[in-house]
Amino acid sequence: MTTPIEPGAAVTGAYSRPLLQVEDLRMYFPITSGTLISRHVGDVKAVDGVSLSIKKGETVGLVGESGCGKSTVGRTILRLYEPTGGRIVVDGQDITHAGGKQLRAARRQMQMIFQDPYASLNPRMTAAGIVSEPLEIHGVGEPRARRERVRDLLGIVGLDPDYGDRFPHEFSGGQRQRIGVARALALHPDLIVADEPISALDVSIQAQIINLLEKLQDEFKLTYLFIAHDLSVVRHISDRIAVMYLGRLVEVTTARALYERPLHPYTVALLSAVPIPDPVIENRRQRIILAGDVPSPSNPPSGCHFHTRCWLRTRLGNPERCVAEAPVLRTMGTGHEVACHFAEEVDGSPEQGLQVKGAGPAPTSATGGGSGSGSAAAGPVPGGAAVSAVNPPAAPPARSSRKRERS
Amino acid sequence: MHLLSITDLIVRFRTHDGTVHAVNGVSFDLDEGETLGLVGESGCGKSVTNLAVMRLLPKPAGKIEGGQVFFEGRDLLEIDESEMRDLRGREIAMIFQDPMTSLNPVLTIEEQMIETIRAHRKVTRKEARAKTLELLQMVGIPQPETRLRNFPHQFSGGMRQRVMIAMALALEPKLLIADEPTTALDVTIQAQVLDLLSRLAAELGTAVILITHDLGVVAGMTKRTNVMYAGFVVESATTGDLFARPRHPYTVGLLHSMPRLDAQPGEPLIPIEGTPPDLRFAPVGCPFAPRCAWRVDRCWTEMPTLDAIDPTPEIVTTGPGATHRVACWNPATPDEGVAAKPIRAGFVPAAPPAEAAS
Repeated sequence: MTTPIEPGAAVTGAYSRPLLQVEDLRMYFPITSGTLISRHVGDVKAVDGVSLSIKKGETVGLVGESGCGKSTVGRTILRLYEPTGGRIVVDGQDITHAGGKQLRAARRQMQMIFQDPYASLNPRMTAAGIVSEPLEIHGVGEPRARRERVRDLLGIVGLDPDYGDRFPHEFSGGQRQRIGVARALALHPDLIVADEPISALDVSIQAQIINLLEKLQDEFKLTYLFIAHDLSVVRHISDRIAVMYLGRLVEVTTARALYERPLHPYTVALLSAVPIPDPVIENRRQRIILAGDVPSPSNPPSGCHFHTRCWLRTRLGNPERCVAEAPVLRTMGTGHEVACHFAEEVDGSPEQGLQVKGAGPAPTSATGGGSGSGSAAAGPVPGGAAVSAVNPPAAPPARSSRKRERS
Repeated sequence: MHLLSITDLIVRFRTHDGTVHAVNGVSFDLDEGETLGLVGESGCGKSVTNLAVMRLLPKPAGKIEGGQVFFEGRDLLEIDESEMRDLRGREIAMIFQDPMTSLNPVLTIEEQMIETIRAHRKVTRKEARAKTLELLQMVGIPQPETRLRNFPHQFSGGMRQRVMIAMALALEPKLLIADEPTTALDVTIQAQVLDLLSRLAAELGTAVILITHDLGVVAGMTKRTNVMYAGFVVESATTGDLFARPRHPYTVGLLHSMPRLDAQPGEPLIPIEGTPPDLRFAPVGCPFAPRCAWRVDRCWTEMPTLDAIDPTPEIVTTGPGATHRVACWNPATPDEGVAAKPIRAGFVPAAPPAEAAS
């Protein structure tokens, strides 16, 4: 299942050559049984054929729910894991199976910002020591020059350079995350993989770090792979967004198109589930409540991984194709890729606009194209019990049981 | 009479590092069937307030040092422990962020739920089991007959939270305190659980105190909201009013510092600068003053009380007509609430008193 991405697919960004090209990336973690002689009994397919390209200066958001493999993608790209299959090309250099010197050199170009600023800083090292460590490892500059560089870096991320000899526990969460950012910047990297960089921080501090990352991007022409579960944050910071579900990408497009014209049923459900801090909107919004949990990546459903929870499949009378055949990413419109056999049915459906508008009391009125999807939304859903509201008996009979008005 | 009435609650923790001033005089009321949101960042006292109501503060560090908590006319801080134990679960139930820490890992769901029901109701084991089945069905656990015999670790996060909700509602309490019930859950699962919670609370007429840091969740789930900062309630209003006309600079800051899904592309975030105060120091003046763009001289020395924004003959503390109140010497005007900064000509935030003196 190779899905090469044409380099021209991306829409924004000041530069055109992809800085990072990932093709059909696979990362399987073996499941073994037995204590003395361990047998390989299966795999957790954390990443199962992900293709993605990021241009210089671009921010790509990778979004998905816990366990979907988004962090594994980030870590595999940085070669913290040895990929099971696929190709990782950074700045024209294939580093898929690079080792030793070559890998070390490649890592100067790519750095990571971690989620937990409490766990990702060595408590026994001073802030200056932490920021200076990458310089020492890569033998950059003389000690005196390094000290100067560290002071600069601390200033750049908004910390007092004189705080360099303090230890991590003397800083607040937001300040610690700034130290993590300074460390990532130390080697003048091109690519920064930010893995949930703000989700451990307090609400009022999150915006400080987001703004810092945006400022640094402008200043140093950085390229970001921004991994997060929060779609509002990802939409804010990203030029393009890739949505991931159970080890595979289901939709890749610009931040604007993802919000205005989502084409994958999972993306549509995800958008409708994100709370918006406005009671007026919340009270008239409708949500697609997905039934059940995310299946286990060690035993994913056949065909399309999302078919067990898909509202569209129910609407279409549970076509066999979703179970039998895994959809590949295909292009629909400029640079908009989606992995769904029936994405055309999503386009123009009332659900597509649910993310904010809520469609009001008559969801069918919003129907645009989408062959016959409007009438299906108003009438009883074929096989609607399988995918439906949380508690089917309580759903209002007049309306599709898939949607519940929240008030 | 209000269902719950808290007056001037003060909670402090004695630790090795000194006294933590967790709750510094919190007052609010709640009526039957009302949904109230308590919003604030970690350490603002929202959870501690509710642990104090339940009398579940960690001992011996946590201590209620003042105030009253009336539940249906009874002062919960005065009654003895056996009475309180009787009340917990039956009248006031609580669900927590991480259900794994509140469920007993070595008992099956069946054993835990039956135990809960039989501790408070004179029913046979069989009746309690039937009730348990009914509850699990109600919260949407598939195949409740088999799932009953499972242990908590065999459930996913979302399912565990459903079990917690079933358990909390088993005795049809009058008040449910939900402390960050969906923070540990994914967004699609959060939607399921919140949907369930609001539906059941409405059906059973349970009053809900929803503690969260997520303004989006508050907007969709509650009718009234208290914003807390550093152990104080700084703004209190109906949820509609609060989001339409935020007046406290902290509320204004919170609303502008989170990216919204429906924001215009390129809309900048306006962060709240600085960090929350260290609660080991007794509050002097308004705790938000060091981070506030609206501060005036008085803010450094005197904590304002929670007062009505517009002059009213009588302050209404509950229900849809609750008075919009704010604890601020210099609240943001409605226009400033939109701009997220003071827009009065020539306004400069007051310097700290020490600097002013020198």
